[in-house]
Amino acid sequence: MKKILPLLIVLLSFAGFAQQQVSGTVKDPNGVPLGGVTVMVPDTSRGTVTDFDGKFSIEVTSGEVLQFSYIGFTKQNVTITNQTNLEILLSENAESLNTVVVTALGIKKEVKALGYAVQEVEGTTLEKAKEPNFINQLSGRVAGLNIKNSTDLFQNPTIQLRGATPLLVIDGIPDRTLDIWKVNSDDIETISVLKGATASALYGSVGRNGAIMITTKRGKEGKLSVSVNNSTLFQTDFIRVPDVQTTYGNGNRGVYAYKNGSGSGTEGGGWIWGPRLDQADPTTASGFFETTQYNSPIDPASGELLSIPYISRGKDNIKNFFETGLVQSNNVSVSWGNDKADVRMSISNNYQKGIVPNTDLKNTSFNIAGTIRPSDNLTINGTLTYNKQFTSNFPEVGYGPTNYLYNLILWTGTDVDVRDLKNYWRPGQEGIQQQHFNISYYNNPYFQAYEYLRGYNKTNVYGNASFNYDITEGLSLKGRTGINEYSLYRDYKEPKSYIGYGSKSRGNFSIAQTEYFDITSDMGLHYEKKLSDNFGLTAEVAYVNYYRNSKNTSQSTDGLNVPGFYNLANNAGATLFGSNREEKETINSFYGFVDLEFYNAFYLSLTGRNDKVSTLPDGNNSFFYPSASASIVLSSLFDLPDWVSFAKLRGSWSRVSEGKIGDDPYNYILAYEKGTTWNGTPSTYFGSNLLSPNLKPETSDTWEVGANFRIFQNRLGVDLAYYQARDYNNLIYSPISDASGYNSILLNGNQFKRKGIEITLDATPIKTENFKWTAQVNLSHYRRYQEEIYGDREHTEGYIRVGDRTDKIYYSVYQTNADGQVIFENGLPVSDPYDRFLGYDEPDLTYGISNTLNFKNLSLSFLLDGRLGGLMYSTTNQKMWWGGTSKGTVNQFREDAVNGENTYVGEGVVVTGGSVSYDVNGTITEDTRTYAPNDVAVNYISFMQTTSNYQNKNYHFYKESFIKLREVTLTYQFKDSFLKRTPFNALDVSLVGRNLWLASKISNVDPDSGVDNLQAPATRNIGFNINAKF
Amino acid sequence: MKKYILILSLLILASCSQVGDLQDDPNRATQVSPDLLLTNIETSAFNNVSLNAALASRQLTYTDGTDSYQYYNWQRAGFDNYDILKQVQKMIQESKRTETEVYQILAKFFNAYFTVELTRVFGDVPFTEAVQAEDGLYMPVYDSQESIYKSVLDSLKTASLELAQNDEAIRGDIIYNGDKTKWRKLINSYSLRVLMSLSKKTNNSNLEVVTRFNEIVNNPTQYPIFESNTDNAALVYVDIQDNRYPLFNSNSLQTAYYMEQSFVERLQNLEDPRLFAFADKKPNASAAAVTDFTAYGGLYGSAPLSDNGAKAVSGEASRIKPRYYNDPINEPSLLMGYPELQFTLAEAAARGWITTATDSYYKTGIAASMNFYGITDTADYLANPKVQLQNPADIATILAQKHIALFLNTGWQIFYDQRRTGFPEFNVDGGGILNNGLIPKRFMYPQNETVNNPENLNDAITRQFPEGDNINGVMWLIN
Repeated sequence: MKKILPLLIVLLSFAGFAQQQVSGTVKDPNGVPLGGVTVMVPDTSRGTVTDFDGKFSIEVTSGEVLQFSYIGFTKQNVTITNQTNLEILLSENAESLNTVVVTALGIKKEVKALGYAVQEVEGTTLEKAKEPNFINQLSGRVAGLNIKNSTDLFQNPTIQLRGATPLLVIDGIPDRTLDIWKVNSDDIETISVLKGATASALYGSVGRNGAIMITTKRGKEGKLSVSVNNSTLFQTDFIRVPDVQTTYGNGNRGVYAYKNGSGSGTEGGGWIWGPRLDQADPTTASGFFETTQYNSPIDPASGELLSIPYISRGKDNIKNFFETGLVQSNNVSVSWGNDKADVRMSISNNYQKGIVPNTDLKNTSFNIAGTIRPSDNLTINGTLTYNKQFTSNFPEVGYGPTNYLYNLILWTGTDVDVRDLKNYWRPGQEGIQQQHFNISYYNNPYFQAYEYLRGYNKTNVYGNASFNYDITEGLSLKGRTGINEYSLYRDYKEPKSYIGYGSKSRGNFSIAQTEYFDITSDMGLHYEKKLSDNFGLTAEVAYVNYYRNSKNTSQSTDGLNVPGFYNLANNAGATLFGSNREEKETINSFYGFVDLEFYNAFYLSLTGRNDKVSTLPDGNNSFFYPSASASIVLSSLFDLPDWVSFAKLRGSWSRVSEGKIGDDPYNYILAYEKGTTWNGTPSTYFGSNLLSPNLKPETSDTWEVGANFRIFQNRLGVDLAYYQARDYNNLIYSPISDASGYNSILLNGNQFKRKGIEITLDATPIKTENFKWTAQVNLSHYRRYQEEIYGDREHTEGYIRVGDRTDKIYYSVYQTNADGQVIFENGLPVSDPYDRFLGYDEPDLTYGISNTLNFKNLSLSFLLDGRLGGLMYSTTNQKMWWGGTSKGTVNQFREDAVNGENTYVGEGVVVTGGSVSYDVNGTITEDTRTYAPNDVAVNYISFMQTTSNYQNKNYHFYKESFIKLREVTLTYQFKDSFLKRTPFNALDVSLVGRNLWLASKISNVDPDSGVDNLQAPATRNIGFNINAKF
Repeated sequence: MKKYILILSLLILASCSQVGDLQDDPNRATQVSPDLLLTNIETSAFNNVSLNAALASRQLTYTDGTDSYQYYNWQRAGFDNYDILKQVQKMIQESKRTETEVYQILAKFFNAYFTVELTRVFGDVPFTEAVQAEDGLYMPVYDSQESIYKSVLDSLKTASLELAQNDEAIRGDIIYNGDKTKWRKLINSYSLRVLMSLSKKTNNSNLEVVTRFNEIVNNPTQYPIFESNTDNAALVYVDIQDNRYPLFNSNSLQTAYYMEQSFVERLQNLEDPRLFAFADKKPNASAAAVTDFTAYGGLYGSAPLSDNGAKAVSGEASRIKPRYYNDPINEPSLLMGYPELQFTLAEAAARGWITTATDSYYKTGIAASMNFYGITDTADYLANPKVQLQNPADIATILAQKHIALFLNTGWQIFYDQRRTGFPEFNVDGGGILNNGLIPKRFMYPQNETVNNPENLNDAITRQFPEGDNINGVMWLIN
């Protein structure tokens, strides 16, 4: 009763006024409904937020004013007289467009106040065209952020921000494990990329290379809202797959006859330099050349294998083996909130079925985020995510017999049809011996898919709790604790007769477990005051503690007794093999910052931080570093022409130090390593790196200038950034003479300069009532130079000299004469004992171009991105020339070699006299050699087996340049008039495609990943998305 | 409200940890007992099965490409042995710390062994200033080969004598299980090998090669040497992960390597039953009896790759015996074996260094080698006229037998014996030969020395090889 009484009084008291219900819709100038607009009666606690259709409803007393406000739009006040239905049109506010971004530690700042580069990606961008992880979706979307996507299932892309790996931050808590699979893109509100060290200086040493900050979605004030998002993409075919020749089959020197699968003798040693396929031979029953093959019938009389036609049955092995992959994502979320509390819950399930049979990845998350505001001056937030990544098998990557393409086409002639390999046990030897045409070097792909199993089971729990307490006006106390915890269990099932690199398995079972925990806690005081109209001050001091503990254990058998029974108890060896490892580390820090604002035009921000780390020796493990940044809003200071909407200049400087040497927190300690145990006798050895006694943290000083202009009523915007970073006191393993007993000494040395430029262009070329075209272009360019070499050396071990770019590639090549002609001896090119310069690794330009076209309820967006310049080594192409599967090997020389004739004369010269001397660096000091053209004909097959055609293929370094049609999305948004007759508040359907088209200089592989160690084929993904809100 | 804030704040601060508490590595030890290092050093020193050495020594051939060891156009080798010399130094340090002597004595042998392994490959190498990075010496000077050999011989002698006096136990010894007599036998037998490698330096008064040789041979009580195969300095493989015969399950050994033709022909000519222990029958003769000498064939080391490849696919070449890739234990790896010692003694007798009869050493060596391969019936073979020495100074025949006895064993020893003596002749007359038909005399210095120790390297090169660092340069040892 006590509770009901006040409620009654309140209700009665309301009844006393002329309250009226006002409802309406809020739209933008294009007539698009605006959700999330704050609708309130100023100076009261009454207020609401528009729903997804821009609709609102509120009780108002006649004569009161309703205020509509929304970020990026001019506030609008409407005095209520007797209206009951309002149609509000908000106009865009030029100056405050995209006004607030999330910066370090989750602090929201106005864009105009920033002295450094930050670029945001809205969560909605990631909603439709899904990838297995959200990072892949950022390709081409942020200038300076270079994502090199892997084509393999469940493999991390390479993430580089201004040439280095950035920090991942989830809701203000750094995730040092950089697990990009644990965040579901449907839970992402925004991604804010802090590009420079200044932007992320407050994170301390881990923020040295910038940060990718994820803000997850939270409950919104308003009625209960349920959102469902389904996305399904099929990996229907390939945009890039190795294109192999089908003219010649397995064997060597044009000979092939299967005996027992050992690969030796007439089986041709595993080469694809065998006889011509589909060769007419009138003397055989089939009319084709015939030889014994692995699937030959056995002559019952003699017990010998019978010859069968040698024809290209396996032309479609790729199509026949790989299956249609699937990338599916489902998310259901519920959001609710009022002025005291809000909550959001979300369940996501991502399923990826690999193109390799029997491979997949399941990724499920449950996320809850809530806020309570028990009083006006206290806010408490909490977020918790449970995430499970699970697969019982996903493919092994890298070159070798563990790779599917290796077994399927790189080292299998098309005389073998993969469909004939589905029964993968040798009859009578089930569980013991796989069936294949070669059982010494290669694995039957089906055997590999169904018997060689690599499981992965990771459970992530992460989240944070924080509070903010306003002590007095402007001064608040804040605290936050965040944890990352995971447990990972992996198992490896290796069947008997499985072929590894260099060995045949006796069956094995291994398990590996990791338990990981880290916690970051911070506590501080925040002061924020607008001291006058023209002067504002924000300041903060805080203490932060970080602690990590991780434990790894692994165990494996030494052969298996019972085939196919995967348990450690089934060990065939004398003992199990195991190891364990534990790591602990901590950082204690203080930081503070002061932000000053003058006349709404000058902004200055100063930060400082001191870290004390456990990963450096005592005495050198506490260090301080500052930063400063400033910006000037020209458009607020001067009367600029009308067509200038906004103009700003910015600049910043920062110093950030890092006190950790590699991944191991104990790298600053010299100690013994465990050696091989010989028949039960253990051993130890001492590592090959020595330590300098006086290790200091390594430091980067970065300065950056930038400009941001918006013109023609915001129709065109440009953001420019130029930065330079000087990395010094680098903790390097400086090489020393091996004869000193150590290969290197860990010390502070070398100096590098990094510099780069980033350009982002935003444009709205067309904007009418029904049609709008917006475009964004992101461009970046980055270089790193050697500024100093430790110990005054002439050059580094990689031949980099002071002033050189550090991405110079030196490689083992053939000797050439002064005219660049390759020198031959006895028909073969002569190796140069000194590595020589081949080119540069880094691209000249990384670009992304996105466009969105809106026509009424239809919208089409597409993204093109890629890189220009740079070289990459291609293992796939090299092995294709070496092994005989490259299409380029089908020529008359090969036909001659098959017939035993030596007709190939390599292009180059032979030495006819004279001599050459080199100095210690390989520079020629004297050269009296005379030459004649090479005229020694050699066997083409021998030549390729020896040289891989290195000479004519730039040693298999290829230009990395490419352009990719990364994403196309066509969305239809159902009209309100239709939705009224349905339970939906909003509904849209999309056709989506990812990785649709690729053009590149390099053939057979997708250069996107930047490396090729025999990658999986690059798939084209096509599907649909349905997004509904109730 | 305030008390809740206080509780919240305390909760956050309570989770904090102290830097000083976390500065010990729980994964690695900073001090160990010296026997743990001895085991590691032994696995490095005795595990020396090398396919490359068998290619360079015309015992095997390779068909998956033009191999630089087989066609004699190799270039550089590495300084990896200095890392093992550092392990030896660590064993000395830990031995001093634990106040034991015996590991320091064994260290003298290993220092000598790994130093010789280095200098015979390159010529002059860092020695007196080597392995002193811990004292800040990062660019050691190169010592002359002559001074290195002098020092090695002296320390081997000291090691043998000190070991005789020492009464401590050797633990962690996977070779001789702590048997010090056997260690002394190894050290002295090994000294004889080193002295024989100096056969071109008998006139050097600093070294007194012949005197030192006699000093050992004539005093078996003070300087015991191997007396049978049971004294072999052998690493016996076991069927446990990482302890298996290094070529066990090797894919390429069973598909890309074939026996060398001149080697097979020599064994056929001598009617040597060890052929059946080394080689498999050629595919075209798979039905023949194992003991049918005509069932075996090989590929000619210096023939063009295309000819060898064609011969291999036509089934006319023998692979190595399957035990080398099928048997996880196969045969022990030898640092030095009894047969090698006997052939060394035979060569010393043939050279007139010692007065004992050449033939008896020679025959004992052959019989011991045959025993090593499980052949007990040696009488017929030893009586075969083709096996007999032509005369007491017949070094060629001794080296031919040594070449057979060291098939795919004892590292690169037989290659260096051939370099010194010219026997047996390694064919270079085939159409595929490179390096202008020369057998290289050495390896070029490691490329990283040109960056990390350029001045000292440059000095060493200019004083030894005025034409520059090259594989055909003739070092002091064989000059």
